[in-house]
Amino acid sequence: MSEEAGAEVLVEHAGKSFGRIGALDDVSLHMDRGEAIAITGRSGSGKSTLLGLIGGLERPDRGKVLIDGRPVWLDRHPAQARRELVGFVFQRHLLLAALSARANVEVPLIGAGVHRAERRRRALALLEEVGLADRAEHLPSELSGGESQRVAVARALVNEPRLLLADEPTGALDSVTSERVLDLLFRLRDRLGMTLAVVSYDPDVAKRADRTLTLIDGRIGDTGEAGIAQA
Amino acid sequence: MFTIIQTNLRRRLARTLFTASGIAVGVATIVALLSFTQGLKDTAAGFVHLGGSDLGVFQANVSDPTASILPESLVARLDATPEVSRATPLLLVTEALKADPSAIVFGAQPSGFFSQGLVLLRGARPQGQEVLIGDRLAASLHLRPGGVLRVDGHPFGIAGIYHSGVLFEDSGAVLSIEDARTLTSRPGEVTDIVVELAAGTRASSAARKIERSFPGTQVITDPDQALRAGANSTLISKAILVIVVIALIVGAISVANTMAMSILERQGELGLLSTVGWSPVRVASLILGEGVAVSTLGAAGGLLLGVIGGGLLVHALGVSAYVSPAITAWGLGRGLLVGVAIGVLGGIYPAWRVTRMTPLRALSNA
Repeated sequence: MSEEAGAEVLVEHAGKSFGRIGALDDVSLHMDRGEAIAITGRSGSGKSTLLGLIGGLERPDRGKVLIDGRPVWLDRHPAQARRELVGFVFQRHLLLAALSARANVEVPLIGAGVHRAERRRRALALLEEVGLADRAEHLPSELSGGESQRVAVARALVNEPRLLLADEPTGALDSVTSERVLDLLFRLRDRLGMTLAVVSYDPDVAKRADRTLTLIDGRIGDTGEAGIAQA
Repeated sequence: MFTIIQTNLRRRLARTLFTASGIAVGVATIVALLSFTQGLKDTAAGFVHLGGSDLGVFQANVSDPTASILPESLVARLDATPEVSRATPLLLVTEALKADPSAIVFGAQPSGFFSQGLVLLRGARPQGQEVLIGDRLAASLHLRPGGVLRVDGHPFGIAGIYHSGVLFEDSGAVLSIEDARTLTSRPGEVTDIVVELAAGTRASSAARKIERSFPGTQVITDPDQALRAGANSTLISKAILVIVVIALIVGAISVANTMAMSILERQGELGLLSTVGWSPVRVASLILGEGVAVSTLGAAGGLLLGVIGGGLLVHALGVSAYVSPAITAWGLGRGLLVGVAIGVLGGIYPAWRVTRMTPLRALSNA
């Protein structure tokens, strides 16, 4: 994958409320192909909701979200967009407890109708990429927190997404493990050229990102260039 | 997909087994009751064709055919009807054997085709105050020729053992109609008259003519008619239908509830599947697939349980001489279909709920 393999993201005047509680208000954002941005902000400022709108996990009440110029919600089902374009990593690894690491990585491919042999090949290749080839048949209960999160990263990448969205991917990890997971995320982004958005409180994420976006009470408060962490 | 279904069911083994057990009980109830109904029908068929007859003439509008009372004089008048080849009276004595109250004792003319048609397996034809006993009764009470059978408290020597192929007859005993009249104190009366039709006569047209010619009689020519003729049998059939419907409703609600609970507990997992690009249809298929797998497992167990339970039921109710549960392929098929349908119906609501949920909301509940 080259840098061109990354998706272009455009959020235009997006708003989202849950009942009477406003989560996002008039948020606009543009992400270039292959760009990495860090999204910061206090708890409840709308970071995860913004990531959810970009990834098609929630429908905006107002405004629109376009990936490569196409609305996520209008011209195709968002599940298809997620399957074809987007990979997700969350704070919790959300691995299926009864499935091995390899089978967990294969799960998105099952949804895409990929043949069993091809699923296995791609899952094993990615587990090797994240340094877990020897743990492929282990259950999540047999993996450490960092290993589980690396499996989750492999799962996010198995569909070869052009946009990787990570919601506090190191929030549940110790500092050493966090650094390893961040190394992995940014190394893969550099090598595969995908666009990357990471929600995080971790200043290290902001240092590694091309740009930082800070949300305050559901609105974009500040942006900064690479290496400048926003409060 | 199948691997995930299999793994999910194995991971929640206790829930899977409890759900399957619920379905198994429902299916077993259905299979047992259907086999019971079929047995009732087969028994009725035997009742219609006692002694190998073509039809039976009974008193009209009785609660149960065994409670029918007809005058003996009717036998000769029936015999004189052109459609009738032979007619012979029977006087049924019920609850006459203390050791087996469900057995029926038939009072029959020794020269009539009913008695003559019995195949003697052991012993000889009765002389004087003697009785012939059916092979099933002989086996269940361990009786043999030369022994004594007490009918309504009166001792009768056992002359021989017969087999007729009709459940009622083989589970009962036959004595002379005179002895039966003495026991029941019903001179000049019979329970029913069994008839062999003249060659080429259709049972339905003969039945219509007999009923017209002899008001107050009803002619039973087929098992369904026999079931309908007896108010008790009708009541049993209706009760069975009600129980089957209740079993279905309870089973479906129970499975739907269990599956809905299971889905609520697994919102995070299903939200994740949706997040990684599984379409709502595919996620719903997973849930329905699990429902079908559990219900198939339950239905298979239920079929086995139903076959065994059907037999146990008639013994427990003490009606083995009247009804032998008849397991048919259609009965088993219906049980299986119902079991699987319960799983599908039970899975539809939770599947629908999942498709209505946004992944982010599902993940936030994880």
